[in-house]
Amino acid sequence: MPKHQLTKSDAQPIGVLDPSTDDAVDVDRPWIVLVWNDPINLMSYVTLVLQKLFGYSLEKATELMLDVHHKGRAVVSSGTRERSEFDVYRLHEHGLWATMQREDS
Amino acid sequence: MTRRNSGPVSRIDEQTYSLNIDAHDRVTLNSLLDQLRDVLMNDSNSDVARRLFPAAYHQDEQHEQEYQRLMRDELLSSRLASLSLTSSMLERDHSAGQANLTSDELDAFMRSINSLRLILGTLLDVDEDEFEDEIEENDPEYGQYQLYLYLGWLLDWIVRAQTEGN
Repeated sequence: MPKHQLTKSDAQPIGVLDPSTDDAVDVDRPWIVLVWNDPINLMSYVTLVLQKLFGYSLEKATELMLDVHHKGRAVVSSGTRERSEFDVYRLHEHGLWATMQREDS
Repeated sequence: MTRRNSGPVSRIDEQTYSLNIDAHDRVTLNSLLDQLRDVLMNDSNSDVARRLFPAAYHQDEQHEQEYQRLMRDELLSSRLASLSLTSSMLERDHSAGQANLTSDELDAFMRSINSLRLILGTLLDVDEDEFEDEIEENDPEYGQYQLYLYLGWLLDWIVRAQTEGN
């Protein structure tokens, strides 16, 4: 079997998307779900909801709840757009003020 | 409304809870739930209901419109189903002084009580500061504040019942 010498011309990519385009970047950037502070929801209630919906330990859920309370918001989950929409929906079902956005946006 | 030292909700086992709310309070709660149902069915776009339907994409109007088109009715249906389950539970026979609840019923009860608090808190323009001692009895909103506090007390017991033993 003859050996094929890979030349510079052989190595040219064909039809590869420019990785600098926004679409290519967005594919790799996960979505994050934020819970925002509000003056109505009880702290104990927010902690329980985070435990129930995401399976967080009491310690983790309490830490997130305190971030919401003191810092105004906390990232409670991240992942695909579809998964984040599902998480936001469940948080809204429970009356929490939740939004989603691209990470670092 | 009655606030006792003993809890209105307690845990029997992992799937069963006990509800101990007197008849007068159950009638009052059902009346409030009826009013909430009316708002949801006829006035869900009003300012008072806005807190029950938050934006998902607060930075992206196009995605937000798409999300609301797909999910708003589902969220509305979910809220109405919780109200229906809660009303049925409150109307159940409490002749033994209490009634048993499943974990699904307790979850519906919890979300419905929280929805009422969100509506009342929005109406009262509640902020982070404590206000319990600041409201005078002759304040026209005194009754609503007392109701808001009662719902918070009840919700806290519902939460406690689910975290007992964890």
